[in-house]
Amino acid sequence: MSGSRLRSLLEAYSTPVLLSSILSLVVVVVWMNASGVLAQTVTDALIRVVLVVGLYIFVGNSGVLAFGHIAFTMIGAYATAWLTLSTFKKSFALQLPAILAEHQYPVFPSAIAASSLAAVVALIVGIPIMRLSGISAAIATLAVLGMFHTFYNNWGPWTMGAATLPGVPLYVDMWVALGWVVFAIFVAFIYQRSRYGLALRATREDEFGARAAGISIPRQRLIAFVISAFFMGLGGVLQAHFLGSIAVKNFWLSLTFISLAMLIIGGQRSLTGAVVGASVISAITEVLRLVENGIEVGGTTISLPPGSQELGIALVMLLVLIFRPSGITGGRELRLRLSRRARGA
Amino acid sequence: MIGLLQHVVDALALGSLYALTALGIGLIFGVMRLINFAHGDFIMIGAFSLVVPSSAATSTLLIGAWPAPLMVGGVCFVVIALALATERLAFRPVRRADPSVLLITSFALSFFLQHAVLAVHGGRAKSANIWPHLMEPILIGGVRVPQLQLITIVVTLVLLVVLVVFLRRTPMGIAMRAASEDFLTARLLGIRANRVIATAFAISGLLAAVVSLLYVAQTSVLSFHMGVPLVLFAFVATVVGGMGSLTGAVVGGFVVGIGSVFFQVVLPAGWRSNRDVWVYALVLLILLLRPSGLVKSKSIEEKV
Amino acid sequence: MERPDAGLSARGIVVRFDGLTAIDRVSISLQAGGILGLIGPNGAGKSTLVNALTGFQRPTEGSVHLDRTEITGWPPDRIARRGLARTFQAGRLFRGLSVLENLAAAAVGSGLSRREAEARALELLGWMDFAEHAELDAGSLPYGDQRRVGIGRALAVGPTYLLLDEPAAGMSDAECDDLVALIDRIPREFGCGVLLIEHNMRVIMNVCPRIHVIESGRTLAQGSPAEIRSNDAVVHAYLGTKTERGRAER
Repeated sequence: MSGSRLRSLLEAYSTPVLLSSILSLVVVVVWMNASGVLAQTVTDALIRVVLVVGLYIFVGNSGVLAFGHIAFTMIGAYATAWLTLSTFKKSFALQLPAILAEHQYPVFPSAIAASSLAAVVALIVGIPIMRLSGISAAIATLAVLGMFHTFYNNWGPWTMGAATLPGVPLYVDMWVALGWVVFAIFVAFIYQRSRYGLALRATREDEFGARAAGISIPRQRLIAFVISAFFMGLGGVLQAHFLGSIAVKNFWLSLTFISLAMLIIGGQRSLTGAVVGASVISAITEVLRLVENGIEVGGTTISLPPGSQELGIALVMLLVLIFRPSGITGGRELRLRLSRRARGA
Repeated sequence: MIGLLQHVVDALALGSLYALTALGIGLIFGVMRLINFAHGDFIMIGAFSLVVPSSAATSTLLIGAWPAPLMVGGVCFVVIALALATERLAFRPVRRADPSVLLITSFALSFFLQHAVLAVHGGRAKSANIWPHLMEPILIGGVRVPQLQLITIVVTLVLLVVLVVFLRRTPMGIAMRAASEDFLTARLLGIRANRVIATAFAISGLLAAVVSLLYVAQTSVLSFHMGVPLVLFAFVATVVGGMGSLTGAVVGGFVVGIGSVFFQVVLPAGWRSNRDVWVYALVLLILLLRPSGLVKSKSIEEKV
Repeated sequence: MERPDAGLSARGIVVRFDGLTAIDRVSISLQAGGILGLIGPNGAGKSTLVNALTGFQRPTEGSVHLDRTEITGWPPDRIARRGLARTFQAGRLFRGLSVLENLAAAAVGSGLSRREAEARALELLGWMDFAEHAELDAGSLPYGDQRRVGIGRALAVGPTYLLLDEPAAGMSDAECDDLVALIDRIPREFGCGVLLIEHNMRVIMNVCPRIHVIESGRTLAQGSPAEIRSNDAVVHAYLGTKTERGRAER
């Protein structure tokens, strides 16, 4: 491969390369210097990045808000539990069909299968819903979340109902999470650059213009919806194998709200915005949590009253929205320009 | 037959609460294209204003101990003041932003209000027993009907009539309708946006306060996330009814309320815990069959 | 029913909104390689007719055929992929995307791969003498340039018929002359038929060998520019005042 070919390739993919490098650097620094507690925090934040990138694939490119994506996260989390729990634990807690109950499947194929299940569900519910416009589609996805949430909450034999399902094998650490984040970032970027991503971004800018240009809006939205659901499901899988237990109540409005807020605060119209939003909000949450627990400054311990973490994060969000309504990145991508004129000419 | 009448009253009473909540959301949507998720927290804070702020496990009535007219006035005052303050501090600065930004702002505000109450009152649910005598049933044509259900329905009807008169007969009401029906033109014609929006928030706060009182009288329970299910169903109701149409919000509220009670009654006992699955499925079905809602509003459609 | 001719052919189109008749039995036909001008006073129903042809408005009565295939009632994107492209009076560009992406999105919409689409977009921009602006956001361009990008985007669909909805609206005289030159080249170089909807007589009279006049949703006259200019009904309805007439004949 010639130098200029390599350079133009690197330039074209500079956004995912830079984003992945920065996150990798953070992971390496934390791995070399810090305590296990910080590593846990970083892992948690990386899982959030997967979720917000998943959300971005649909919301960012289509401009349609979706309130139901956490349903796919829940589907992914429970599906991986059905596959990977030990047969002893399955027989103890759940009543599954033989093919699940009598086997314990390896984690990697299970992660793919569980995320794919989320994507398949998205395909089925998406076919009718993606014909709807804007706010109706958003509410329809919320109705889907409401249905799954209520159903899983009462589906004792498969989910233990409202109780916490324990014993999910722990294997997600900082490095595993980083690997999946890099995968998500690259897929999101490749999609966004593809003919499908371009067509969908055109529908976001002007629906009439897009239709006159031969673009089928329901079809393009459906493609993004399915890919997006895969990564939402993957986020659920990672969370299950990070925390070791899952509960239906955790896949509801507050997770919906926080992931949407991360995306919008980062800047919903760019992949960089999704990654920045998830990272920044996670970081601020962690700092506030530390301060709430008390930190030492010049010999005296400063601490904030309990509950100030959530109040602080809500306040930060409100301030960003008020002063920078298009998000921290303003919809721009992080990019590397190796030559003065990148394209064209 | 007697059972049926009881179910009808239940359905109308629940529908009334959803309709009032949906109307509060619909009014704000009309004048500024904001879907206000924090509306549920207006209701929640109205309810908490009944008791003394403290993190103690047992609650002491504050406004809730006042005589009825003062109690109603007090709760209305608190919620209207809150609604106006949020408009001024949170929503006015982002008014010209994208609707998704407005929505997320209301999410953030909702999160803030809930955690503020959590910090003050603690996370445990509290009880506030107001107007216990209203739970006693009265006899109508041989049927025992709880007074509170009837009061809920009557209060809703009275508020709807007052609101209709306000929207049709007063200059401010007409300006508000003009803004809802043709958002851009109304702005261009220079309808005083600040006053119209502030008035809409005040009315929305009033509706939320009424829902607080009726809801607490019914359940006697206070919790920091009590507004969430109400606002969720009301939100769904505004869309089912037809976003941008106030009539639609009321119709949608009753459809969702009646649907909930209907499924509660007809589903076999073992399925009742899954009632909301059916309510959401109904919502989904209505949306798929009538994507722009039951009552179509001209203001939402875009022209080529 | 007899088979319609090749070309874009609309027969007896009627569009009614809530009892109000916006288009009343208008028939129009356009051959590949030809240019047809569609004029009429404001509110005559020109844009409604374009919407009816391109699927954005379902006709109440009548039929539209595209090279002998009936396309009445098809969704707009399917009609576009079949080879009937349009521009909009309001522009409707993809404002947050670059000029290149605007054209490439339309090429992708017509079924090309990403790579082919980009090649077609670059080629078209070169043809329009606009390649140096390829990386700018479409929304940041001056008004006249946005109109040109709109035409480029419609051409990127690879159409056999192109409907231009008032492309000269709001342009200066100099810009109009450039536009006339551009439109004039389209049938020759792309082999496609052009339906030009215009208010600006300077543009219409200079490019269109045939003109169709509508007023209040009805066909008023059809013919060559000379015939239209001397048609009493048209002069009365449309070129009413002396000043406008003078400008038209300049």
